[in-house]
Amino acid sequence: MFAINPADPAPIWRQIEEGVRRLIALGALSPGAAVPSMRDLARDLRVNPNTVARAYTRLIEGGVLTVKRGEGTYVADTPVQPKKSERHEVLRDGANRYASTAIAVGADLDDAVDELQTAFERIVREHRRRA
Amino acid sequence: MTDRAIQIDNLTVRYGRNTAVDNVSLNVERGAVYALLGRNGAGKSSLIRCLLGQQKADAGGVRLFGDDVWQRRAALMQRVGVVSEDSDAPPEMSVGALARFCRCLYARWDQAAFETRMQHFGIGLDDRFGTLSKGQKKQVSLALALAMSPDLIVLDDPTLGLDVVARKALFEEVIGELADRGISVFVTTHDLSGIETFADRVGILQRGQLVLDEDADALRSRFRRIRFTAQPVALETGGLAATRMRSWGGGAEAIVSNYDDIAFERFRAASGVSAAEIEPMTLEEIFVAVAGENGGGR
Repeated sequence: MFAINPADPAPIWRQIEEGVRRLIALGALSPGAAVPSMRDLARDLRVNPNTVARAYTRLIEGGVLTVKRGEGTYVADTPVQPKKSERHEVLRDGANRYASTAIAVGADLDDAVDELQTAFERIVREHRRRA
Repeated sequence: MTDRAIQIDNLTVRYGRNTAVDNVSLNVERGAVYALLGRNGAGKSSLIRCLLGQQKADAGGVRLFGDDVWQRRAALMQRVGVVSEDSDAPPEMSVGALARFCRCLYARWDQAAFETRMQHFGIGLDDRFGTLSKGQKKQVSLALALAMSPDLIVLDDPTLGLDVVARKALFEEVIGELADRGISVFVTTHDLSGIETFADRVGILQRGQLVLDEDADALRSRFRRIRFTAQPVALETGGLAATRMRSWGGGAEAIVSNYDDIAFERFRAASGVSAAEIEPMTLEEIFVAVAGENGGGR
């Protein structure tokens, strides 16, 4: 599915949450598709099942995943996309972090935008290749 | 009923004039995975012996599930599975005979779980313990510890001498058990690869003292390695604390233990110094930075 980066300063539950959202956004997980059980995903990613549970709970509360009792966890039939205002907020947060890192290492705006574009395209391309 | 699997209060162990464990307090919540890191001689073994009720503390004590382990050892050890670094058994004994032996000792023995694991690991019940590889011995030892249906599993340097594949298999079993039964895990190690994504709390023992005891996510978020092309730099101007600073001809490297973007921006504005690189750190790297070069041992 995706990998956990132990050197990523983002908490692992957030890496999982973002990983699932990314797979849905890129079409690798379709609406209604089954997602791995918490147990399997925990073993796969080698993380504490409680950490997976925390990510899944947030995704379920956010309307991205649904639980069918006794069956398992699925992508919602119409997975809730983050609201425009929420998306804005998340983007602004990430942008702030990225911009301050870029400034800290003395990059100019053009360099920073170039890197961002490269990273964006690389992630989309990698998913296409895997799909 | 307490929510704590382990509660260590002011634990102290002395050998003559040597203090092996120096006033250590820590808690492990039920269902949590606690990784205790320390270099050889840091006091891990003494702490583990106290934790398992094998040694009396000179001061302080250990409670497991709310009960004092020194006073209620026999009852508590029915609930604690142990895989130690030197898990051993008579070499002539078969794996099946080992299981029969343990079955007599543990009221909650799960023979089916044991046999399933042996099949999964590709180890026969007739295999003699002495003929198994180091990795297989560890697998038998883990399967025995899990077959007693423990509420807590203590892994004392479990991956010592194991290759990557065997290490992965071992942790997968533990994670499965975490998911299925919600056990608590206490693991000591000086090798973090494999555990660093599934430990949710980390302690560092150094010369008998617990110098760090923190949520793993919090730890990862506050440590950074920053490389500068100029030197020297006064990070304090931004309120940043450098736990370690190294300079060389053209630059410097700092390990910052309270990084945040805003503080760094403040430092940059005040000093005019740009960093060449700001890197997040793995728990392994943080451990090395904290327990560091001048040695966590004695």
